[in-house]
Amino acid sequence: MALQILLNVILALCWMFLNNDPTAVGFITGYAMGLFSLFLLRRFFPRRFYVLNIWAIIMLLLIFIKELLLANLSVLKTILAPKLKNKPGIFAFKTDLKADWEITTLANLITLTPGTLVIDISDDRSILYIHAVDIDDAEKAIYDIRHSFEETIKEVSR
Amino acid sequence: MNKQQTNDVILQTVTKVACFIILLFSFHLFFAGHNNPGGGFIAGLMTSSSFVLLLLAYDLKTVKNILPINFIYVAATGLFISVCTGIGSFVFGAQFLSHAFGYFHLPLLGKTELATAVLFDTGVYLVVVGVTMTIIQTIGERE
Repeated sequence: MALQILLNVILALCWMFLNNDPTAVGFITGYAMGLFSLFLLRRFFPRRFYVLNIWAIIMLLLIFIKELLLANLSVLKTILAPKLKNKPGIFAFKTDLKADWEITTLANLITLTPGTLVIDISDDRSILYIHAVDIDDAEKAIYDIRHSFEETIKEVSR
Repeated sequence: MNKQQTNDVILQTVTKVACFIILLFSFHLFFAGHNNPGGGFIAGLMTSSSFVLLLLAYDLKTVKNILPINFIYVAATGLFISVCTGIGSFVFGAQFLSHAFGYFHLPLLGKTELATAVLFDTGVYLVVVGVTMTIIQTIGERE
């Protein structure tokens, strides 16, 4: 992905020199042209076309904002309830993310969405121990995390 | 033909960057065609020369995987576009192939002259790319 972005910037600079147009507009036009030629020869690279990765990052941000809103509402409900009915608990979440930044991102996303909190990560970095404020069904919580955050992070690093 | 397998690592690495620059230069030639030397024909040749560089650095099969295009269809599409721009002038009650231009305000580029000749040029460009690549690939396939 980094290689493709670098090549695209170099192509945009080439375009500016070819057209003798050292302006922002020239750069953007050249970037678009470079993007098109990268798209034309996208199978040339071992990784996939990098715009898809950037799209995945945007999707991750949107999902994060959505989960943040929903989870804050649910915590609000728990706090304002006249009687404390929530059942706190700790559950293990087995992840198959490998890279350090992937695990860190996943842990931060889980922590920042209220209601869940990453306590510890096992030594072999395969299990995240998560504390939940209100846990009816650990299976469901695991399923939710896997299908909202983990899949999207995988999509980013693909 | 059992040629000794050579290690083309330098050629292949340089090709990886160079073919993109050639491709970009061909786009530059294509758009320069109206007021400066350039145009659809030379841009098409330049684009196919970029693909030919790929063919030289890699083999025919790899390039077919990278560009899974039947170039005969590219030539046909180009011819179709060119004829359509010619016929399109009938819609406005003008003679065959008469072209028009106007000045438009595009969101980013500002005041730009858009001419229908560019559409015709696109057709020429595609025909040239299609024909050149078809010729080279057909010759290359024969043992």
